[in-house]
Amino acid sequence: MDLLYTLVFTVFPYLCLTTFVVGHGYRYVTDRFGWNARSSEFLEKKALLPGSVLFHWGIVFTFLGHAGGLLIPQRVFDFFGIDSQTHLTIAYWSGLAVGLAAFVGVLLLLRRRLTHPRVQAVNRLNDTITIGALVVVVGAGIFNVIFGHFNVLVTVAPWIRGIVTFTPDAMLMETVPLSYKIHVIAAWTLLGFSPFSRLVHIWSLPLTYFFRSHILFRRRVPTPWAPRSIR
Amino acid sequence: MKIKAQYAMVLNLDKCIGCHTCSIPCKNVWTNREGAEYMWFNNVECKPGIGYPKRWENQEVYRGGWEMRRGGLRLKAGGRLHKGLNIFHNPDLPTIDDYYEPWNYDYARLIESPQRKHQPSVRPHSRLTGEPIKLKWGPNWEDDLAGLGETGAGDANFKNLEIATYLQFRNVFMFWLPRLCEHCLNPACVASCPSGALYKRDEDGIVLVDQERCRGWRYCVSGCPYKKVYFNWKTGRAEKCIFCYPRIEAGLTTLCAHSCVGRIRYVGVLLYDADRIAETAAVASDQAVYPAHLEILLDPNDPDVERRAAAQGIAPNMLAAAKRSPTYALIKAWRLALPLHPEFRTLPMVWYVPPLSPVSSQVEPSRELDTIDHMRIPMTYLANLLTAGDEAPVRTALKRLSAVRQYMRTQRVEKGSDTEVLDAVGLDEETVGKMYRLLALARLEDRFVLPTKPVQDNDNYARQGCCGFGQAV
Ligand code: HEM
Ligand code: SF4
Ligand code: SF4
Repeated sequence: MDLLYTLVFTVFPYLCLTTFVVGHGYRYVTDRFGWNARSSEFLEKKALLPGSVLFHWGIVFTFLGHAGGLLIPQRVFDFFGIDSQTHLTIAYWSGLAVGLAAFVGVLLLLRRRLTHPRVQAVNRLNDTITIGALVVVVGAGIFNVIFGHFNVLVTVAPWIRGIVTFTPDAMLMETVPLSYKIHVIAAWTLLGFSPFSRLVHIWSLPLTYFFRSHILFRRRVPTPWAPRSIR
Repeated sequence: MKIKAQYAMVLNLDKCIGCHTCSIPCKNVWTNREGAEYMWFNNVECKPGIGYPKRWENQEVYRGGWEMRRGGLRLKAGGRLHKGLNIFHNPDLPTIDDYYEPWNYDYARLIESPQRKHQPSVRPHSRLTGEPIKLKWGPNWEDDLAGLGETGAGDANFKNLEIATYLQFRNVFMFWLPRLCEHCLNPACVASCPSGALYKRDEDGIVLVDQERCRGWRYCVSGCPYKKVYFNWKTGRAEKCIFCYPRIEAGLTTLCAHSCVGRIRYVGVLLYDADRIAETAAVASDQAVYPAHLEILLDPNDPDVERRAAAQGIAPNMLAAAKRSPTYALIKAWRLALPLHPEFRTLPMVWYVPPLSPVSSQVEPSRELDTIDHMRIPMTYLANLLTAGDEAPVRTALKRLSAVRQYMRTQRVEKGSDTEVLDAVGLDEETVGKMYRLLALARLEDRFVLPTKPVQDNDNYARQGCCGFGQAV
């Protein structure tokens, strides 16, 4: 039993994290031309609007919620006068709102991807898998919010913190219900898969646009790292 | 004063015969790929008409280019924050239906058909989905005014004109407008790109998309008011006219210009003051943009300009080409060429000599030059197209064109020299001689004055496959 837990909740997450980090580096170096959002708005604009907007805003805030709720220890919240119960209530309602948005959005995106002939024409198996995986992860997540009512602050949260601080403790997951286990395992899988999918666009979030000048000039200069022959 | 050099093109609409030859080599060389079938870096539109993509000139629809808002120059589609908030679905993006859905014919049916009572026929199939499609729109759908009765009213250049009058058969007029990327001095596409993938080449002003930096946020497509950035639906990246830079670097002109049957295209170097771009694009009224744009184009024969340009590192051969530039002559020295829609405020660098047209028969003008106001193509229409509605510069250009014809006629036919007609438009005999040579004879060596790039490396073999739109890393 212990071995199984170690494999699933320690070894597997680290495997996924490694693929995540190394995979992004590998993809960036070998396939920069393929590194983009692969927008399909040009082919289909109407159905994209509700799907993409709901999904993205939902998932972005879900991301932030997870980061804030799971990575920051309860001690810190206590210090600011937010006890464990209040924390869970906040997590419940905000999670419900953004999670539902993301879930409805991703379902709309899935439907669009499977039914619209033009989107089908540019679809790759990879895209379907990505959306499918998101449906599972977000779906399990929203199921937990609505039906789970399980205190993650003393189980899943410290387990995640243990992994990112390299002090993993797989047994923290022992009492966690199955639906939560499915959610985290699917999420780690998606994380490991993401460097090889269109999800790489997340890391290209163009923050520099807010600070740079409008018009850009580029001069041809020899790049020291280019092969000698084309410098 | 920060002097920069830039290639500019002038198209003499008076001579465009609408043959579309220019579009073909461009298509064959640059956009003959999957995902790019619908793209025409160079296309020829028949005016009046709504063009390609449909209604591109109407910025109420696509919200491209710049506008003066809250006392400053802003992107019409909204600033950085607005773009950030709408990045998941760009409301201003055209879809492929605004251009046309590309198609193929199943020609195999013609040869594989068994013997039947009726001839086999071919049907169009979408290049996107492979399904049979009904053709309702396509490239050059409006050529030779086809469908004008239906689409004509959507032409934005009819502003302040009674459209119904010009849709009547006896008043109808027509000319062609070949279009390519304007390689603007203040490009809205560059300003709209969140990734910083679009840029202007410092040495010659050509605007390019870095294919490895483009992340497919698609704001350049909607940001360009001329709709000259295209979205490759296969690769998910933006592509645009590259001003044939691999040819330009070798001292050859662009494919569209070289192949032009009417010999209407001129390519040459212009010097401009880069420090004054911001203030030029931000002048108060739309009609003031054209004169302000002229202001920042510098006289390459002015010794002061020449000295500073050399000191600021403009290559000697670039400077020499600027001095002989046909585009400088047509744009600034003679005021024959005008910018396309200066009110978009991107400061375009592809300019147009307005077309003369037949005189309407109802009037009998006393003097030749007065015919200008009675030509078939309404002055207001041309002014809406080229000078944000200011008729004076259009009138000057047309009068000068007409004067050159008239003067040459007195010389050739009447064996005299009618300098009176020249005085009226402020030209002298020497200048008219040059105009005649450039506009009418239009020799290759006069139309294209391009320096070869100084050799930066001698390893072109190793560069193979490193530029263009390939999958190369
Ligand atoms: C952080 C900022 C993000 C930005 C700026 C962004 C931007 C975009 C854009 C522009 C598209 C193309 C939409 C189109 O025109 O077709 C897209 C698609 C997509 N994004 Fe994001 N995204 C972000 C975050 C995320 C996150 C966190 C996820 C999931 C974990 C995600 C998953 C997807 C998916 C699955 C699609 C494909 C939608 C479809 O066409 O079916 N994105 N994103
Ligand atoms: S015309 Fe060309 S340079 Fe100008 S905004 Fe459009 S794409 Fe950019
Ligand atoms: S090749 Fe020249 S004359 Fe023919 S359509 Fe193009 S620009 Fe006009």
